[in-house]
Amino acid sequence: MIKVRNLRYKYPNNREYTIKGIDFEIREGEIFGFLGPSAAGKSTTQKILIRLLKGYEGEIEYNGKSLLSYRDDFYEDIGVCFEMPISFSKLTAMENLEFFKKLYRRTVDVEPLLKRMGLWEDRDKKAGEYSKGMKIRLNFIRAMLNNPRVLFLDEPTNGLDPVNARIMKDMILEFKERGGTVFLTSHIMSDVDELCDRVAFIVDGLLREEDSPRNLKLKYGKRTVKVEYKENGNLVAREFGMAEIRTPAFFELLQSKEIETIHSGETTLEDIFIQVTGVALRG
Amino acid sequence: MDRLLVLVKGEFNRLNKYNLFTAHFVVLMVWVGLAWFFEAAELKAFVPFIFLMDATMMTILLVGATLFYEKQEHTINSIMVSPVTGDQYLLSKVVVNVLNSFVTVVFISAALYFMKGVVYNYFLLVPAVVVVAASHTIIGIWLSYHAKSFSSLLVNYIIYVFVFLLPTVLAMLGIIGEAAARFLIVLPPDTANILISAMVREVDPWRLVFGYAYLILLSVVLYRYIVRPWFDWYVMREVGV
Repeated sequence: MIKVRNLRYKYPNNREYTIKGIDFEIREGEIFGFLGPSAAGKSTTQKILIRLLKGYEGEIEYNGKSLLSYRDDFYEDIGVCFEMPISFSKLTAMENLEFFKKLYRRTVDVEPLLKRMGLWEDRDKKAGEYSKGMKIRLNFIRAMLNNPRVLFLDEPTNGLDPVNARIMKDMILEFKERGGTVFLTSHIMSDVDELCDRVAFIVDGLLREEDSPRNLKLKYGKRTVKVEYKENGNLVAREFGMAEIRTPAFFELLQSKEIETIHSGETTLEDIFIQVTGVALRG
Repeated sequence: MDRLLVLVKGEFNRLNKYNLFTAHFVVLMVWVGLAWFFEAAELKAFVPFIFLMDATMMTILLVGATLFYEKQEHTINSIMVSPVTGDQYLLSKVVVNVLNSFVTVVFISAALYFMKGVVYNYFLLVPAVVVVAASHTIIGIWLSYHAKSFSSLLVNYIIYVFVFLLPTVLAMLGIIGEAAARFLIVLPPDTANILISAMVREVDPWRLVFGYAYLILLSVVLYRYIVRPWFDWYVMREVGV
């Protein structure tokens, strides 16, 4: 659906390129996670893809045609959810949505969206009186207003309580089930792990890794099984390689000891993020 | 065209909700209050100044304030990822300010007529106000591009007033002599003053023709070569570059 080839971008006042030649593809109907530390180039890439930044080098194709060949009908197809709260503070939530809705040819009924996101009761409240979480939920509804084919989500669950984060993640997954495509940036690795079909890591303007979370875990994880058991009242841990788990020694241990836990040695996306980017996650 | 209409309606709605209409109305009431103390004959000399201030300075302030609010609340980001084009967005600002200045013409003219029975040439006033408000909206947008906050917008505004409007006001008060004042026609507010003053006094036809041509050409050149090309840069800066 979106193909990026040798993308390079330099901000007008910068000497160095922020994006230094990256290639990736976002397939139709998938959730593509774009991860990286601060100032690595992920927001810049997203802004290029949503055409807020112009003057890039390389090629970007959307639906088989150069992104540059699209006029503003491109925006009929996409929904963008920014990280920061965006709304006219002196207008009610409903007035905000009604204004943006009128800018599109194809729109959806906002009532079910507002109800699902728990904002229906507060629809006539001024957006400026909303809490941060409510503003973020309003952002998400704004992104869904035009029934988009592609959603660009920048840290969508950041600042949401677990219940509302769950609702939003469910809505993202339902969007995908209906055939929608999602480009997602987030530093909440559990969300990325749960939502994304594939992820790419960008570091210093270059892509370091691109694969499914599962494959990355296999690649970066240890192919081991760790068994913890009680022996003479003490907790003992022993690690077996994958090849060893078929051996009699492994079965004997399972049968003869009081097993407490068994863990495979697969790693987490957070550990992979740290390994690939060399930067620890914060927040 | 539909989207332009939506943007214009939305802008009027926000001018109301953000109390910018109220602020504008208060200024108009001050003008009407001042007019109360003038005799009808004196008013004829004073009233072009009201329309000049409204179509130039008030227009710059209003467009600056709306751009500032949109910048502060990041709503420009959301508008620019919708099918609205940069031209539609900028044109909506021009249309709204022109209509706003037209409202001023109707309000002040009605007030002066009912208070003092003052009438003047409305057919010369309306086109002058349209062209002056449109050109000063474009100037206001340009000044806003270079303002990082509302305070810096006010600084830009004050610089503009001193450099471009003060000589015109001094010429109106007779402090700058007629010979020197002739050259002030290249300053947009002075040109605006000539066009608007035609409502109450005779103005050389060549000055009217030059004035309209100059302001229209200035608007087109400013828009085509500065305001529109820099708009992408402005949006880029607002999305966090």
